[in-house]
Amino acid sequence: MGSWDLKPHPSMATRSLLGSFRATSSRLAAAPACRRSFHSYEYTQPPPFPPTESAILSAALSHVPDHGFTTAALTLGARDVGYLDVSTNILPRGVFDLVNYHLVMQRLALKDTVQFPAEAESGKKLGTGAKVRTLILARLRANESIIHRWQEALAIMAQPTYVPASLAELARLADEIWFLAGDTSVDTSWYTKRASLSAIYSSSEVFMTQDTSQNFRDTEQFLDARMEDVMKMGSIFGALGEWTDYTAHSTINVLRSKGVRI
Amino acid sequence: MNVQAPRILLRRQLLGGVKRRASREPYRCFSCSVRDAQQQTPPPKSPQHAQGTTHFGFETVAEALKEQKVGAVFSSVASSYDAMNDFMSLGIHRLWKDHFVRNLNPGRNPLTSSSSDQGWNILDIAGGTGDIAFRMLDYASTINNDAHTKVTVADINPDMLAEGRKRALSTPYARSPRLKFVEANAETLDMIPDSSIDLYTVAFGIRNFTHKGTALREAYRVLKPGGVFACLEFSKVNNPLFDAFYKRWSFGAIPLIGQVVAGDRDSYQYLVESIERFPSQTEFRDMIQDAGLLVPGQGWEDLTGGIAAIHKGVKPT
Ligand SMILES: C[S@@+](CC[C@H](N)C(=O)[O-])C[C@H]1O[C@@H](n2cnc3c(N)ncnc32)[C@H](O)[C@@H]1O
Repeated sequence: MGSWDLKPHPSMATRSLLGSFRATSSRLAAAPACRRSFHSYEYTQPPPFPPTESAILSAALSHVPDHGFTTAALTLGARDVGYLDVSTNILPRGVFDLVNYHLVMQRLALKDTVQFPAEAESGKKLGTGAKVRTLILARLRANESIIHRWQEALAIMAQPTYVPASLAELARLADEIWFLAGDTSVDTSWYTKRASLSAIYSSSEVFMTQDTSQNFRDTEQFLDARMEDVMKMGSIFGALGEWTDYTAHSTINVLRSKGVRI
Repeated sequence: MNVQAPRILLRRQLLGGVKRRASREPYRCFSCSVRDAQQQTPPPKSPQHAQGTTHFGFETVAEALKEQKVGAVFSSVASSYDAMNDFMSLGIHRLWKDHFVRNLNPGRNPLTSSSSDQGWNILDIAGGTGDIAFRMLDYASTINNDAHTKVTVADINPDMLAEGRKRALSTPYARSPRLKFVEANAETLDMIPDSSIDLYTVAFGIRNFTHKGTALREAYRVLKPGGVFACLEFSKVNNPLFDAFYKRWSFGAIPLIGQVVAGDRDSYQYLVESIERFPSQTEFRDMIQDAGLLVPGQGWEDLTGGIAAIHKGVKPT
């Protein structure tokens, strides 16, 4: 997998472009002075959810293995932290807020769960492709405890009102993975990379909900196969026609994997 | 609507002269209790209306009169009430109410609670005809299998309460301890103890209150920590084109239709103007926060392009 290096050539121009892009993402909104995004995770970030929501949602997540992504889990979570059943009304989108909380928290946790040794220490260079693979696997692993309930979450995300928010969160995950893998180039391939990674991730995620193999071995193989596919296509991405075609397809695949009937 | 025709004629004869008198002689015989209540507890004056005047639709009237005028409006529309709501909402208030109740998910599901658990204690303010209360009880019973959740319907107007009691007779809750009607002003809910309510609802009522801030603080007082304030109310249409259309409709057509249906142009005129006067979504959200409640997300949900909106607030624990 080490050979899977997607154009790691950040020019000066793209760096500054990236700087301003990163600054607008919520993660960095508090640190606009930070031009180089590499150290973003060293800044203390504002908590992603208000305290009452956080308290109820994190308690509710512990009921997901037994009760799924349901109002029952929300109600039990509210009670755990001293609120009433009715207090779950603090969540404007109900169970979707529960799904979203899991997605956001696991995306933000990635930078702590995966740490790549500095090149100098390890002596050998880990390719971007290898890092991306490690990050995707780590993110998939974070679904392990609730994987038997993940189909429910996918169904909630596929509700028309929530599709845009779900796709936006998927794109944020893709950006985060590229970023943590050290790929900081912003050029015409950026959208392609976001789209291809989104497609790879979400299809692997769906695969994992049906994986009964030991330690999710099959999901790992499935992921490797999807990454191979993208590599083979890599050389022809240059042609604009192919690019549009592929992006359209991967978008459709992502939507399909979210349960949208198209 | 045809079936209502004879009643309308009758009402016209009965009520024809009343509206004209309303401003000079500000109560009607069956609204006397409203006046009594007021003599006992004069409402505190809001700072904006230091002289003690407030809005009655677009008219500015002495505060003391507003309650009585509002009383007269609802006394005179009590029985043609559904028709009125249909006109004001382009016929969709029933859907809004269904959505409002479904979204609150009232009742305690026995699957997630121990058997000794009691249901929710719901207070439906300005509940008049019981529209919201019956929906709450139906939802709790059939969707959440909860046979304990109780609703207290409070309204300032005895005629609206009488209409509610009458309608309750055709529901399973007429003589059950789960449904109670009380006459009360939302600004002084003395009969409701502190921290006793799980859910406080007010549907199409709050724009009629003389002191909305006082009513919100009273809501805060009666709610349990973690309890929820939920308000369904006509609001500000977001899209300028739709707004222009809706204003034309509401100012032009509704009072006329009101006259035809209920023989009562002035009451409907008041209703339309009170909607126009009501604060915008953001202003009302801020008032809810000022009363000490936490709001979910942006604080409200628009219905049908903002013709109506649902605002919620949660009392912190
Ligand atoms: C438009 S009706 C709403 C009835 C019902 N909630 C519904 O949604 O169909 C408004 C009600 O508010 C009541 N009301 C007005 N001022 C009030 C106050 N200060 N306190 C309590 N109720 C009030 C009126 O008597 C009337 O019944």
